[in-house]
Amino acid sequence: MYKYDSVDKTIVKERVAQFRDQVNRHLKGELTAADLQPLRLRNGLYMQIHAHMLRVSIPYGLINSTQMRTLARIARKYDKGYGHFTTRQNIQYNWPELADVPDILDELADVEMHAIQTSGNCIRNISSDQYAGVASDEIIDPRPYCEIIRQWSTLHPEFYWLPRKFKIAVTGATEDRAAVQFHDIGLEVVHNEAKEIGFRVYVGGGLGRTPVIGKIIKEFLPRDDILSYCDAILRVYNLHGRRDNKYKARIKILVNAMGIDAFRDEVEAEWQFQKDGDLKLDDVDFDTMAEFFPLPDYEELQEGDSRIEKWLSLDSRFKDWYNNNTVEHRQTGYRIVNISLKEHAVAPGDITSEQMDAVADIADMYSFGEIRSTHEQNLVLADVREQDLLEVWRALDAQRLATANIGSVNDMICCPGLDFCSLANASSISIAKQINEKFTDFNELYDIGEVKLKMSGCMNACGHHHVGHIGVLGVDKKGVEWYQLTVGGDASNKAELGTRLGPAIAKDKVGDAVSDILHVYREQREDDERLLDTFRRVGVEPFKERVYAEVN
Amino acid sequence: MSVEKNLSPKNVADRSKKSRPKATPSRIQQNMASAKAIVDQKIVDNFIVHIAETEELKVTDLPATQVSVPLNLWLEEIDAIKSREGLIAVQIGVDEHPEDIAETLSDIDIIVLPFVNHVDGQAYSHAYKLRTRLGFKGQIRAIGDVKFDQLGFLTRVGCNAFELPDTEDLQTALRAFGEFSEVYQPSADGAKNIFSRRRAIH
Repeated sequence: MYKYDSVDKTIVKERVAQFRDQVNRHLKGELTAADLQPLRLRNGLYMQIHAHMLRVSIPYGLINSTQMRTLARIARKYDKGYGHFTTRQNIQYNWPELADVPDILDELADVEMHAIQTSGNCIRNISSDQYAGVASDEIIDPRPYCEIIRQWSTLHPEFYWLPRKFKIAVTGATEDRAAVQFHDIGLEVVHNEAKEIGFRVYVGGGLGRTPVIGKIIKEFLPRDDILSYCDAILRVYNLHGRRDNKYKARIKILVNAMGIDAFRDEVEAEWQFQKDGDLKLDDVDFDTMAEFFPLPDYEELQEGDSRIEKWLSLDSRFKDWYNNNTVEHRQTGYRIVNISLKEHAVAPGDITSEQMDAVADIADMYSFGEIRSTHEQNLVLADVREQDLLEVWRALDAQRLATANIGSVNDMICCPGLDFCSLANASSISIAKQINEKFTDFNELYDIGEVKLKMSGCMNACGHHHVGHIGVLGVDKKGVEWYQLTVGGDASNKAELGTRLGPAIAKDKVGDAVSDILHVYREQREDDERLLDTFRRVGVEPFKERVYAEVN
Repeated sequence: MSVEKNLSPKNVADRSKKSRPKATPSRIQQNMASAKAIVDQKIVDNFIVHIAETEELKVTDLPATQVSVPLNLWLEEIDAIKSREGLIAVQIGVDEHPEDIAETLSDIDIIVLPFVNHVDGQAYSHAYKLRTRLGFKGQIRAIGDVKFDQLGFLTRVGCNAFELPDTEDLQTALRAFGEFSEVYQPSADGAKNIFSRRRAIH
């Protein structure tokens, strides 16, 4: 994983010192709360309903065991003994005191972590494929490209006060697991006819109040030009994006207002000024950056460890876990292990200090000391030898981290909702529990198969409900929590926004409605169709009829 | 101000004087002058009064002291302004375009970038363009809602003079210039791209 050099270390340490000075000036009364607000946001610190919330950046979801132990210690020392992994692969702490935050950031800096630009109207953490480097369908490892963009965008003096937040994602695989079409800028690796590496560039995608699928601004951008082209897009956005209404301020609104062709013309005109300037990258830059992401020292292993078959036949719980929570690896003899943070009755993405420490130990013993966080709010051990799977399963199971529900309807994505968030209209964690309770029979879960259920407590869409196979959106109607359901959303290459099922549903009926949708699916599915495939074939009507027949 | 209106091809192309709106909420609303300024990282007495734009503003209305004038007035009465005593200082509001004064830059000593609200970052791009592609060598001065915590990045994009509200402690604010000893990206400050620097190291 990426290792800081002296430049990175200096910048992160000086950033902590700067924030410590800002907090001190605030506590002495020299800096008002209003003036501190945008500064603390750009250091990941929000003010929520009950307390401050600190969002720590985890670039590309990569965490080493030392960092994981630091995250555990911070949870114990400064919080209530747990942390919360988010849909953007970061971790949040819900209870830190403002005066402690500079110390927390210092402890993070010691292990090469930070919270820079994890919120605020600036360029956010660059996101990528959670299986980068190990996915069997990978064309090129996207992480060196992400890291190049991350460094360029970190503390960028010109693009630090944008109209609104700005998110960039990069994918290097045939299956897009980074949802690049739902980002302000999305970069998808492609080869041109001369077999050179470049990117198809999408612009103006996003979820939130106005979900929009990104538009192609450039079919092939040579990789040397990624920074100068992003620079041009950002300058056009900084100068022309709306600032009079925060709900109209994202780049997607600008692109729609201008039209993609006019927007492209502006960007191309702007690009000409610095196309061949200092931002132009050289082949050696990619090689140098790739060296920062060395592959683990894999052993030469035989295909198919014979003991696996035996274990699978002897222990049905291990078999369920193996089938649901592990994924094929590109390296023979290894598998990718998902750690479920979706145990029944626990808020999705939450993990205790003890569990974090245990995961660090397991990673040290069995997975090169590295852990990843995923968009689905789970963790991954990316490089486990097949021969170690039984022991890894036992160790995870002892920590209640082996719930065999990855990819199922119980593996839902969920924002913190009204329980923590000052923006939320409705609770989401309690709905997650309600749905969990409907599906306690794991055989039924496995029969239903892959369902991406995504839930947001308000229209800001942190839970990405628009692209859930089933989406649940909390809304407030005269002080009462109601829930709007959608079906058929998809964040992959075939990007689709979910279709609204009908009027919002009362809080205590959401579990029933999800259950109805899945009954209709099981009745109507053909062959090995997933919910999404059946929906695409039969449309929304059968689902709608069943759900509202019971509601009425 | 809607985006559609702002960006219609007509408005992008046509920057004639008649099409230029005056006295918008994005510009300073009344004349401004701070007691002190920070110029090239030193605290100095301030001598400039920044004149707010009105529909009827004429050069003959200006006080005899050193002023900065709105961009519209500069474009309308360039010769009259040039014949005044003192330095020539012109304001560019966040809703105006540095390109509009490209041909007259050699006549200008100071460009003033007024911040009505510091979270509006358009002026950072204006300063960057002035210093890089437009080659402006004079002073770029940020005024209005400009405080300690903006000074570092404003310096990087090309500002070298600042007027902070008189309530701010300028001595404390000078710390802003020494907060970072490393940067990742080029801007208008001559800093090198981190990647070209690493080419030399690795």
